[in-house]
Amino acid sequence: MSPEELAFLALAAIAFITGLSALLVRELVHTILWIGIFFVDLSAIYFLLSAPFLGVLQLGVYAGAVTILLLFGIMVTRKRIFSREAATGIGAVPTLLSVVAFVFLLIAVTSLSSTTPTFTTYDVSALSTYLFGAGGPWVLLLSLVMLAALAGAIYLVREGRE
Amino acid sequence: MSGLTIPEFLALASALLALSIFGVLTRRNFILLLIAIEIGMNAAILNFIYFAAFPLCAGHSALSGQAIAVVTIGFAATEVAVGLAIVLALNRLKGTTNVAESTELKL
Repeated sequence: MSPEELAFLALAAIAFITGLSALLVRELVHTILWIGIFFVDLSAIYFLLSAPFLGVLQLGVYAGAVTILLLFGIMVTRKRIFSREAATGIGAVPTLLSVVAFVFLLIAVTSLSSTTPTFTTYDVSALSTYLFGAGGPWVLLLSLVMLAALAGAIYLVREGRE
Repeated sequence: MSGLTIPEFLALASALLALSIFGVLTRRNFILLLIAIEIGMNAAILNFIYFAAFPLCAGHSALSGQAIAVVTIGFAATEVAVGLAIVLALNRLKGTTNVAESTELKL
């Protein structure tokens, strides 16, 4: 087993544990801490897959912006930030459904060929050339969606809306 | 990066997707729902990046996988921003972020 494979397995285990902890802990602030670790861990996997630009993007957008945004969401909607969630209980049916979904997906992916395709690395400049060349419509679509979302978010949170 | 087979990698993405389904089905707080959806989106982004690093068919531009991952991260960030705006509006109207109490559209 190569060191990269070992690192991937360790990072995958951390990703699953932190993701599960984020959904199971009762205090919302602790959830944000767990999800922050989850995002940083995924960015490490991106670096391992030689996608440094996406790793940095994950750190900046997810581990930075999204985590802080969620923290602000908790801050402005709760009187006491560290107050606990009311226990909702973990129903047997949702747990069973997610386990069944996982088993089905696992059966589907294990039926795929277990060969390792050739590892390809890219230059970051090649990605930017692609994004602003052939991938231009995607970037344009993203900018339009972001603009619409900005207008929608401002409309939702403005004062005096009935 | 060598020796990592396709099923090994996709098992992680499947586990994260199952985790996301579990979170969406069990949690009642809107912010926790957003977090569960984010975990699912990250599973999808992970697959795009994996298949960009290990392209299955030659000739097809494998860089499009990374490009779609960049765009998906942008979409996910946008989704969180709008989601939190909905959380704020919900909190102002109802005084809670519990989605089980938002039943206005029920017949």
